[in-house]
Amino acid sequence: MEVFIQAWNYFLNRREFLFETLGDHFMLVVWATLIVIIIGVPVGILISRTDRLKEIVIGTVGVFYTIPILALLGFLITIMGVGTRPALLALVLYGLLPVVRNTCVGILQVPEMTKEAALGMGVNNLQMLFKVELPLSFPVIFAGIRTAMVMNFSLATYAVFIGAGGMGRVIMQGIRTYNTGMLLAGIILVVVATVSLDRLVGYLDNRVQRKFSLVE
Amino acid sequence: MTREISVELRNVDKVYDTAKVVDGVSFSIKKGEVLVLIGPSGCGKTTTLKMINQIIPHTAGNILVNGEDVTKLDPVELRRSIGYVIQYIGLLPHLTIEENINFVLQLTKRPKKEQQERALELIETVGLPADYLKRFPRALSGGQQQRVGVARALAADPAILLMDEPFGAVDPLTREQLQNELMRLQETIKKTIVFVTHDMQEAFKIGDRIGIMKEGKLVAMGSSMELVNSDDEFVRDFIGRGALFDVLDTISVTRVLRKDIPTIREGEHFDKESKMNGWDNILVLDERDAFLGYVSIENIDASGKISGDAVQRVADAFPAELSIKKAIEEMLYGGRTWLPVAGDDRVFKGIVTFDSCAGLLSKEGGS
Ligand SMILES: Nc1ncnc2c1ncn2[C@@H]1O[C@H](COP(=O)(O)OP(=O)(O)O)[C@@H](O)[C@H]1O
Ligand SMILES: [Mg+2]
Repeated sequence: MEVFIQAWNYFLNRREFLFETLGDHFMLVVWATLIVIIIGVPVGILISRTDRLKEIVIGTVGVFYTIPILALLGFLITIMGVGTRPALLALVLYGLLPVVRNTCVGILQVPEMTKEAALGMGVNNLQMLFKVELPLSFPVIFAGIRTAMVMNFSLATYAVFIGAGGMGRVIMQGIRTYNTGMLLAGIILVVVATVSLDRLVGYLDNRVQRKFSLVE
Repeated sequence: MTREISVELRNVDKVYDTAKVVDGVSFSIKKGEVLVLIGPSGCGKTTTLKMINQIIPHTAGNILVNGEDVTKLDPVELRRSIGYVIQYIGLLPHLTIEENINFVLQLTKRPKKEQQERALELIETVGLPADYLKRFPRALSGGQQQRVGVARALAADPAILLMDEPFGAVDPLTREQLQNELMRLQETIKKTIVFVTHDMQEAFKIGDRIGIMKEGKLVAMGSSMELVNSDDEFVRDFIGRGALFDVLDTISVTRVLRKDIPTIREGEHFDKESKMNGWDNILVLDERDAFLGYVSIENIDASGKISGDAVQRVADAFPAELSIKKAIEEMLYGGRTWLPVAGDDRVFKGIVTFDSCAGLLSKEGGS
């Protein structure tokens, strides 16, 4: 029980520091997710058009996924040094796969019949993409973004190893200084934040799925 | 009567790899005409239809829409000028009914106000309540969705409608209703319609002309009566034995009405010598020309007046929408040889007889 009281006291005393760190953590994830969307969605659209490109790209992004995060961070330090930028790049590389794949899959699952009806009404290529394909694959794309974001939120705790901020710093510092109050406060905060984020995005996902539900 | 040609195919082929799925098809459709394409599954009906709006490009031959070769037109503009209705799930599930109806108007960036008014007008045209405009397609039944599909195709007021088995996915009762509504609508909008179906009765009912396809070729083309009387074995087999009565059920008695029978208004005088035209009876009408009964020539006295209460009162006149099949049934089961027919305003139009029905068969028979 003692440790929880210590954690609570640490939390009360260092509230500002903790929330600031959590804020950094969050911003790192938000930026990573934005970049993932900006790159991943167009790439997903592009590869949905040709089978060959699809295999190559999904294969390539899949490789990043299989590299252990510490190995990837280590590699990035050797070419980019330490700091926030390599951390951001690592998160982007990890987040790409779910977004690229889901965008591609989402677009491919738009019913032929629906596209044909739109074509028959006279949509041009851009209108087909923006008025038919993207809205109809939005739920699937959104699910990919959700996966990328939640995953990045946990992965971002590793950013400490590359000299970037975030909740990893609180946890590592707690371990290194045998400050169990600090350690536990950091852990609880990161767990609560991850679960809340997952719930929030999950709720949005649910709304999206229902609004865009393809059930006739 | 000569009318402008709206759509014309000249020796059109469609070849996939080595398979020729449409083979030398030629036909032309007059403005305001309903042409039905029918044939076994896979015979090339859908392909033929989709080549008209170039969703599928043809391999050889010429396709003309309003006299212009479609390959010389911008395909997007061409499609916007032609209404297109497909079997189902053609509605965009993420758009409201209103947005679905206005899809083409929105593509062409018509003013918002015009779009709203058009949607309201069209939802009524296809017989749905206006508050459906705010709903999503999934909240509608199959038949209702199909009505929206028709409304959407009409939104930009295209002169040509392409319909690919539009009523294929709804139950038979709804299908009949939708067919009736389409025909009623067609009377006012007079579109040029190419309608694909695999249902022979539907073809008889809707088509001014029917084209029968087989293995990519157009093997027969004509009115329903012409097809029923065709000598071609495939055509006969395809439309089946019961077809004659199906066709007769789609033709109204107005086609076989005899109007030469003498009539007399109750209380008026009749000139026996000049007006009998070879008939032995005279029909009696009231002062508003509604049918009352008939009277034999013997019961007209020398002065041209009906003697006493000689008027034979039979049942009321039948409506002009009565089909020939129903008229024949009515005569057979009712033990009658003729039926009086009146318009909506109850004004007497003429009579239908066994002979006049039979006359239709021989007149349009042969090939
Ligand atoms: N993209 C395609 N590639 C090859 N063959 C096709 C293609 N589309 C249709 N076909 C073939 O063309 C024939 C005619 O098809 P379709 O016009 O859809 O027939 P229908 O509408 O009369 O049932 C069928 O045998 C079908 O298998
Ligand atoms: Mg078909």
